[in-house]
Amino acid sequence: MELFDNLLMGLSTAMQLNNLGFCLIGVLIGTAIGVLPGIGPIPTIALLLPFTFGMEPAGAMIMLAGIFYGAQYGGSTTAILVNVPGETSSVVTCLDGHQMARQGRAGTALAIAAISSFFAGTVATVVIALLSVPLAALALKFTAVEYFSLLVLGLIAAVVLAHGSVARSLSMVFLGLLLGLIGIDVSSGAARMTFGVPELSDGIDFVPVAMGMFGLAEIIANLERPSERRVVSQKVRDLIPSRADLRAAFPAMVRGTLLGSALGVLPGGGAALPPFSSYALEKKLAKDPSRFGHGAIEGVAGPEAANNAGAQTSFIPLLTLGIPANALMALMIGALMMQGIQPGPQIMREQPQLVWGVIASMWVGNLMLLVINLPLIGLWVSMLKIPYRLLFPAIVLFCCIGTYGIANSLFNVWLMLGCAAVGYLFIKVGVEPAPLLLGLVLGPQLEENFRRAMLLSEGDFSIFLSRPISAVLLAVVAAVLLAMLSPAIVRRRREALTE
Amino acid sequence: MTRRALDWRDLILGLFLVAVAAGALWMTRTLSIGSAADMGPGYMPRVVSLALLGFGLFFLVRGARHAGEAIQPVHLRPVLAVLLAVGVFALTAERLGLAISSVLTVLLAGFATRETRPIESVLFAIVLSGLAALLFIKVLALPVPLWPR
Repeated sequence: MELFDNLLMGLSTAMQLNNLGFCLIGVLIGTAIGVLPGIGPIPTIALLLPFTFGMEPAGAMIMLAGIFYGAQYGGSTTAILVNVPGETSSVVTCLDGHQMARQGRAGTALAIAAISSFFAGTVATVVIALLSVPLAALALKFTAVEYFSLLVLGLIAAVVLAHGSVARSLSMVFLGLLLGLIGIDVSSGAARMTFGVPELSDGIDFVPVAMGMFGLAEIIANLERPSERRVVSQKVRDLIPSRADLRAAFPAMVRGTLLGSALGVLPGGGAALPPFSSYALEKKLAKDPSRFGHGAIEGVAGPEAANNAGAQTSFIPLLTLGIPANALMALMIGALMMQGIQPGPQIMREQPQLVWGVIASMWVGNLMLLVINLPLIGLWVSMLKIPYRLLFPAIVLFCCIGTYGIANSLFNVWLMLGCAAVGYLFIKVGVEPAPLLLGLVLGPQLEENFRRAMLLSEGDFSIFLSRPISAVLLAVVAAVLLAMLSPAIVRRRREALTE
Repeated sequence: MTRRALDWRDLILGLFLVAVAAGALWMTRTLSIGSAADMGPGYMPRVVSLALLGFGLFFLVRGARHAGEAIQPVHLRPVLAVLLAVGVFALTAERLGLAISSVLTVLLAGFATRETRPIESVLFAIVLSGLAALLFIKVLALPVPLWPR
């Protein structure tokens, strides 16, 4: 079986001692930032990118991936114990998880969350392995025409599934595309919008942009809110859930995993949408929906499974097609490009060790999280006692040094400063910067493929519709955009996102 | 008293986008556009800028016609302190060295909130500066001076 061989090859990569180490570092850092509210995985990964320069590509990706799904684990710990979601994806876990903790069942809630996450992670790893092969085979048929249409679909779908107004998000995509055009044009050598700054001739670096908009702007916004920290005084006991608890949680776990896996693959998917959908589903299916919000174990198991499954399957578009599903995956693409690997449909064929190594490492990482996290709960809880007044200056400093370190250029620090100011403006006017980052990362590829497609067709735009795969992709784009204009769906979407 | 309600969030965003698009169009005005079959370097910038301009105008019109959510009040203290801290880092890192620059950055950032305690902040800044020097200069060999040159 090819699938089996691939997974075995991946496992052998993931089990190399240094890669195991990177995986462990990744999940530990991920859990830590997941526990701490106010720092998300996006600035953390941006911050750690410079560290991955000297590493092997596989090790770098394994570590960065570990941060991402580790953060989902950590986020739920804070949600259950302190009723503060460490990450947006664990908002739902607060509802029933914290209620369970109040009833003295914190240990059970934590254990169920961890087991659900592990179960989902295991299934999602298999899903990734199963879907990757046919998708990659399909991707090999892609020319510039299909690739352009796919990029358009990725950008549009990411906008639709993101929070907030569609028009605003779309405008952010275009702003990102514009920023992506900065630099020397590859085919003509003309400088575009470089302001005569030599640092800009290679294009704008996305790390300062990500750190400014996601890291610093968030810090400023956080500081405007009065600080509130409830200290946990509860001893965590009974980390082994009873048989009855497991039996109650298991069906929710399975449903959450399936839902999360499906939603994660969609462009724009990832860790935020699945838990909300899963919670709504469990509530609908329950015999007694009134238990929800009062410590229903399904309300922890389902969303936790969905969130982890979604986090992992959102790697599928990245690993098979080279299309990032969300802003975080866009950073991953950046990490690959820094390693000199061009993401795209050819990546599975050219870098099988890397791709399968990362896939297998997710399972290994999930196992690590299950084994190390429950005993370490005390440590994570004590991290919550670090006051924000000490935490944020440290983040500011590390953002500065990290940005400087990417290219040893102070220009990047100034760029980050500008992006922080703009990011703050965006928060004030209610725009999400995530689509901008996607546009920035995908912009150059979009232009390149558009140009090639036009060369191929001698300037005839109908080529995008006369090729079947491309036509289907663009039809989906059109359908999605039309659907967004229909008032009924707009209302449904708003409800789904605010619930 | 029926002043027309405005959506300031839309208006500001629209203004911002129009300004960016206009700037981009102006800066790329000399680049050749070419044709679709043989695109010049100015083709994509113009397409994208025009789209941005369209979005900006759309938000301006929409903002002028409907009332919207109010903008949350801006607190200048955290904005200025954090931006200033970053700026000072950029100004001093290569001249005064990482050690001094880090201390200054952390201290300035601390001004962002009233909760900061002076003595604690100074001690913490020194500790962080030491950690940063150890991590970035010793371990990662970042080519930045540690002390003033």
